[in-house]
Amino acid sequence: METFKAKVTVKLKPEIKDVKGETLASQFKGLKCRTGNVYWFEFEAKSKTDAEKFIKKLSDEILSNSVIEEYEIKW
Amino acid sequence: MVKAGIITFLGTNCEYDTKRALEFLGWEAEFIWQNDKITKNYDVIFLPGGFSYGDYISSGRLAKLTPAVKSLPVGKSLIVGICNGFQILCEAGLLSGALTHNENLRFISKVCELEFFNERLNIPIAHHQGNYTGLGSEEVILKYTHNENGSDDNIAGIYDRKNRIIGMMPHPERAVFDELGLTDGRKIFEFIKNEI
Repeated sequence: METFKAKVTVKLKPEIKDVKGETLASQFKGLKCRTGNVYWFEFEAKSKTDAEKFIKKLSDEILSNSVIEEYEIKW
Repeated sequence: MVKAGIITFLGTNCEYDTKRALEFLGWEAEFIWQNDKITKNYDVIFLPGGFSYGDYISSGRLAKLTPAVKSLPVGKSLIVGICNGFQILCEAGLLSGALTHNENLRFISKVCELEFFNERLNIPIAHHQGNYTGLGSEEVILKYTHNENGSDDNIAGIYDRKNRIIGMMPHPERAVFDELGLTDGRKIFEFIKNEI
């Protein structure tokens, strides 16, 4: 078993209105803002392929909703 | 007699309101625990309001993984999601679209006026994530007369006639008893009964 570290950033798709971001941005002139969630993971897996599969499933099913959100995985 | 099942999740808090409203209307209602597979035959299955799994990650996100939701008899029983139930159905992909944060970023709890076919109904809403977007082929059956939360096209409730799934943000179960001063919810349950 190997130890892996992954960082998943979930944010609303560009075409979806981000009310939190807009509220924050409205307080400063010329500021644009998009909000999202970041998750840091550390876990064990047999191989990089298994680790990637696990993180992708987690991101697709639990961390994001593909109707409104997109995510990015960094290792 | 109409036989209804009401799924209860960890964090559901409208199951008793729903059960009492249904029994008052002469329906038979029983609870279905989230971890049980749905094996009995029900005319209608309700996913009631509340905060399933504490709204962790996002409203309805985790409840979609429960055995009860995974075994919903789609196409057989009429399925009705109220508030958090609507959020769960959207998250599970059983209804299109998603419910995002209210435009004013606040939890809205009030009685609001709704368009329901050719009628105007007064029914309470109580939610933080009711801003609906991404309608698919579903029919819009409920609309806010004043856009309360930023929803596309004032959408408050939708109905997938093909798969027989209804989702709505308002709480009709809170508008059934005379003592509470609101009875328009009965019209929603009447509609549901006619669709069984």
